[in-house]
Amino acid sequence: MLNPPEASPAGRSVVAAVVIAVTLILQVSVANRLPLPGGVQPDLVLLAVVALALVAGSMTGMVTGFLAGLAADIIPPADHTIGRYALVYCLIGYLCGVASDEMDRQSVVPFFAVAAGALAGTVLYAGTGMMLGDPRAEWATVSSMVPLQVLYDVIASPFVVWAVLRATRRYERGERPRSDTLAVPAARYRAMSGRG
Amino acid sequence: MKDTRRTRVVLGVLLVVALAMITIDYRGGAESPLRGLRGVGATVFGPVERASASVVRPVSNTFDAITDAPGERRRADRLERQNHKLREQLRSMRLDQDKAAQLQRLLGTAGMGGYEILAAQVISAGQGFEDTVTIDAGSRSGIKRDMTVMSADGLVGRVTRVGPATATVLLATDQTSSIGSRLEGSKEIGIVQGRGRRGLGGHGATPLRFQLLDAAAPIQVGQRIVTLGSQGQRPYVPGVPIGVVERIDRSTGGLTRTAYVRPFVRFTSLDVVAVVVAPPKTDPRDAVLPPKPKPPPTPTPSVSPSASPSGSKRPNARPSGSGSPSTNPSGGN
Repeated sequence: MLNPPEASPAGRSVVAAVVIAVTLILQVSVANRLPLPGGVQPDLVLLAVVALALVAGSMTGMVTGFLAGLAADIIPPADHTIGRYALVYCLIGYLCGVASDEMDRQSVVPFFAVAAGALAGTVLYAGTGMMLGDPRAEWATVSSMVPLQVLYDVIASPFVVWAVLRATRRYERGERPRSDTLAVPAARYRAMSGRG
Repeated sequence: MKDTRRTRVVLGVLLVVALAMITIDYRGGAESPLRGLRGVGATVFGPVERASASVVRPVSNTFDAITDAPGERRRADRLERQNHKLREQLRSMRLDQDKAAQLQRLLGTAGMGGYEILAAQVISAGQGFEDTVTIDAGSRSGIKRDMTVMSADGLVGRVTRVGPATATVLLATDQTSSIGSRLEGSKEIGIVQGRGRRGLGGHGATPLRFQLLDAAAPIQVGQRIVTLGSQGQRPYVPGVPIGVVERIDRSTGGLTRTAYVRPFVRFTSLDVVAVVVAPPKTDPRDAVLPPKPKPPPTPTPSVSPSASPSGSKRPNARPSGSGSPSTNPSGGN
């Protein structure tokens, strides 16, 4: 349905990189400092990766996911084993990219895809922590955090998806004024973000 | 887009790279070959975080103002632009005052203990399961690994990683943090461990767990806990207040006893903190603890609090918690 590498890959990757960098900074300096009930914060980076993957397909999704994850692993307050977020976001980017091919044009489906991506990402990250014996990822902590985090992610998803779409669409418009490849998902997501 | 063979190959390669990094970093521990990567992260993202923090601060303050007073938003909508600007000025002035007051208290606390401190501001917080924050002071300001971080109220954590302009602080509430500590007024020692999530999770007001090493030693609710001080004063300097015992586990039979501690510091709203760059010359013992909040038997507030029972058992060089802290805060020289 989409074939992003044909549409000037360099420009697209620049947009993706900017989106990820901005999201990452917002994540650590704003989102993580919100004193939300339950002590959990929405994972904006994961949402951005999911949104980019849904728009641009599995290849972009997984490369973006890998790089975003690597950046999330080394951004200053991070204190976990390097590679955990890279692994998780890469997988999620790939899966969401593949899922975007299967999706029909109903506007509810992407919403569930974002929720499923958030759930899978959170569980996978917790899973890697458990496998490595990370004392922070005890079962008690994980089981209380994961549902809440997914809830927050779903609440935050329309805003992030909308912002990502704005960013990618603006670029598309400048490059190719009447592009059919992105018009469909853009409309779809706009309908979706309006709903959320 | 088709799920082509190339896509799968790239996916495989990326996953293998990620797994390899996890393995290398995990096996390497503190001496991991990948720690250079973290250094790159700190160098690249540190200045950006500092810049974004200065942008974000007024926004989050506005956010606070809105949540504090529900009518604020409606009123703010009606205000003219000029009015808005004035209000902005006023708020920033109040912020400065607030910060000045926090710094003043910080200096007072540090002065009582004889710590030499360096004030810093929290600019970002960690993601996922970790309780870490970044502060806007790094190796250029003389911060090194394993320095104690405190606020005016008590212990915040310790420095785990240092970048050129930023440093990462492991909060005391993190589940990997354990702090040698001592019960106020006695020699009973134990370990304070974090329970995660900055005290916001299911642990309510007691995000810290205190394990008393001697199961038979007396411990009461309301007793306060200070740091014991590590060997070579690193990572924790002695005498920094940690918190108050809130609840004691009655289960017996173990080698240790467990109590739950309410920290003095509010980990959800950390702003100005101090890094202890030089430890005190002598252990301040209980001198840094705030005056006991006991119902005063004598209603005269002007009585010197050094007569309060916390510090009176021990002849102490410093006046514990006297109204005006020593005017020479960096007395550790």
